[in-house]
Amino acid sequence: MAIAAPEQLNLTEAPTWGSRTVDCFEKLEQIGEGTYGQVYMAKEIRTGEIVALKKIRMDNEREGFPITAIREIKILKKLHHENVIDLKEIVTSPGRDKDEQGRPDGNKYKGGIYMVFEYMDHDLTGLADRPGMRFSVPQIKCYMRQLLTGLHYCHVNQVLHRDIKGSNLLIDNKGNLKLADFGLARSFSNDHNANLTNRVITLWYRPPELLLGTTKYGPAVDMWSVGCIFAELLHGKPIFPGKDEPEQLNKIFELCGSPDEVNWPGVSKIPWYNNFKPSRPLKRRLREVFRHFDRHALELLDKMLTLDPSQRISAKDALDAEYFWTDPLPCDPKSLPTYEASHEFQTKKKRQQQRQHEEAAKRQKLHHQQQHGRVPPVQQSGQGHPQMRPGPNPPIHASHPQVAGGPSHHYAKPHGPPAGPGRYPAGGNPSGGYNHPTRGQSGAYGSGRYPPQGRGTQYGSGGMPGGGGPRGVGGPNYPHGAPYGSSGTGRGSNANRNQQQYNWQQ
Amino acid sequence: MAANFWISSQYKELLDPEEVDVVHQLDKERGITLDDFKLIKLHMSNYVARLAQNVKVRQRVVATAITYMRRVYVRRSMTEYDPRLVAPTCLYLASKAEESTVQARLLVFYIKKLYSDEKYKYEIKDILDMEMKVLEALNYYLVIYHPYRSLSQFLQDAGLNDVTQLTWGLINDTYKMDLILIHPPHLITLACIYIASVLKDKETTAWFEELRVDMNVVKNIAMEMLDFFDSHRSITDERVNAAMSKLAGR
Repeated sequence: MAIAAPEQLNLTEAPTWGSRTVDCFEKLEQIGEGTYGQVYMAKEIRTGEIVALKKIRMDNEREGFPITAIREIKILKKLHHENVIDLKEIVTSPGRDKDEQGRPDGNKYKGGIYMVFEYMDHDLTGLADRPGMRFSVPQIKCYMRQLLTGLHYCHVNQVLHRDIKGSNLLIDNKGNLKLADFGLARSFSNDHNANLTNRVITLWYRPPELLLGTTKYGPAVDMWSVGCIFAELLHGKPIFPGKDEPEQLNKIFELCGSPDEVNWPGVSKIPWYNNFKPSRPLKRRLREVFRHFDRHALELLDKMLTLDPSQRISAKDALDAEYFWTDPLPCDPKSLPTYEASHEFQTKKKRQQQRQHEEAAKRQKLHHQQQHGRVPPVQQSGQGHPQMRPGPNPPIHASHPQVAGGPSHHYAKPHGPPAGPGRYPAGGNPSGGYNHPTRGQSGAYGSGRYPPQGRGTQYGSGGMPGGGGPRGVGGPNYPHGAPYGSSGTGRGSNANRNQQQYNWQQ
Repeated sequence: MAANFWISSQYKELLDPEEVDVVHQLDKERGITLDDFKLIKLHMSNYVARLAQNVKVRQRVVATAITYMRRVYVRRSMTEYDPRLVAPTCLYLASKAEESTVQARLLVFYIKKLYSDEKYKYEIKDILDMEMKVLEALNYYLVIYHPYRSLSQFLQDAGLNDVTQLTWGLINDTYKMDLILIHPPHLITLACIYIASVLKDKETTAWFEELRVDMNVVKNIAMEMLDFFDSHRSITDERVNAAMSKLAGR
């Protein structure tokens, strides 16, 4: 506990017990909107410090404070690293009863809960998507090294991030990169014995073992995502833009070859292997397709995008790769160019609105075609499939238009439900380029990170040794309800919000 | 899991006994003495354990729940935070934090089954509302390091595997007291091993000497536990009921 100097009153210290209220902050601007709530840029009144306030949405919760939020808080409160986003504190806003009528609210809880994060200027996806943006080699090395350093720290501390992707890698104007959004993260034990849900990680960054249905996995899942990001940085666009699970696996197999007992011992025992086995074996073409990459980069990428998770390179070993130790060396984050004054939200919003306006016009024309022509690729699988299914998932038909592209800033990405037709364009980049349907949906602060608890994993029993005391049979098995709820579908499916999947026990 | 005890909030916020043994002003006004305060917390710890047995969660959830409950009452009054609601709420929250989730309605079902007394009767909504207040009181610090963690390692190192059961039971008993708020968990483990080895006539002096821990603290914890066990015999239902009756009715 904080202790004041002798004979001095301890007046300035924040109370160590009990949380502060959101009144300590002045909300400057809403900078994000997700299915579960809003994100604000705010200023701490006492210090003037700029922070991001992420509201935890509560009103759809049948089981109180969301377990996903509990996981995120538990994990973030323990991780302290320069490459991991800093959860500064959690603040509450008093219930309205108390506010307006001036009387205590008894046992009623009407307030909001906000996670207070350090403020970051960009995210990697947003930065990469800026028109004309080209990362230099030392810059890519610098970001990659920070990503791996942060991830190594998580893995050493037995935390799996489980949602590594560009929009969850926040970057400030000092060139620092930090892992954010631990809403899917959870702790693991080294023996990999617990059953975890395989419905994690945004589809394009999801490793083959999860797509094949394994429920026992470890840090290697994050390393696959890192490989995807690495390739994307070098290649200029996502390398596995699958629209559903089968297509995702196909894209992976086409580049990395198809798995068999030789290159991946044990793969045939993974639940859905037989459903997804390609009809004819495919050769690994990674080195051929990316032969124009720098030799050391290719070597490292090859090790990251290894099908067999047990042979995939670890974050620690990746940091030792030649790539990071040959010229050009990773640059100092501080030497990186700054991209925009941090607080130009108005400008960004205007630009965004303008773009939306333009695209809305186009969308009117494309509307019908797109309604049926595009299938959102991410996180759809859970919806409507509350139980873990033994087979592969057919594509889910979501006729909702997706938003892609958007402004370069994660905060400013359109997160909310469409206000009406034409407000958000259906096809992000009609002007060409690749579509990036995951983008714009889940900025690390703002995405729908707290869908209902159906996302919960299957817990194995983790009893403690020894006897005595009441011991249960371990945790109950959670049905694999809609691991992402409607978060992945973003704006399109917000109509479903009120009938989200509370598959606690069905 | 992540990090470790020494950089945890639990370590930074270990309390002095003088800070724990404070009856809130509002409770004093209701005539609740320090003895009553301790009795109620003991009674509520048993309540949590009993409920947990019915909803079938592992001991670690019980331990975490009781720790939450005891932490709440370091700063909050029993008058405003009815222990009969706080106790099940802490179990509910701990079940989530320890990844063994129990549904609120299941808790409510067993509360009704175990206690017919009106004063224990709370609904799902009450638990969910109290959960928020408990989270706030805990300042969202939810990770608790428990003495169980280091037990098997210590016992193996000391060659005392045959007293595992006894020591485990002793650790369970420490949650009837506030030790977990006051001492680092591994010292509580050592105190329990110390008691177990004395009870079972095991020679452990050399082993303890080799540990670089302050044996005075370990022995003090052990003494405190033995004192508690002694006084525990004199705790009767009447005394508990008298203390509980001082709590606010609803």
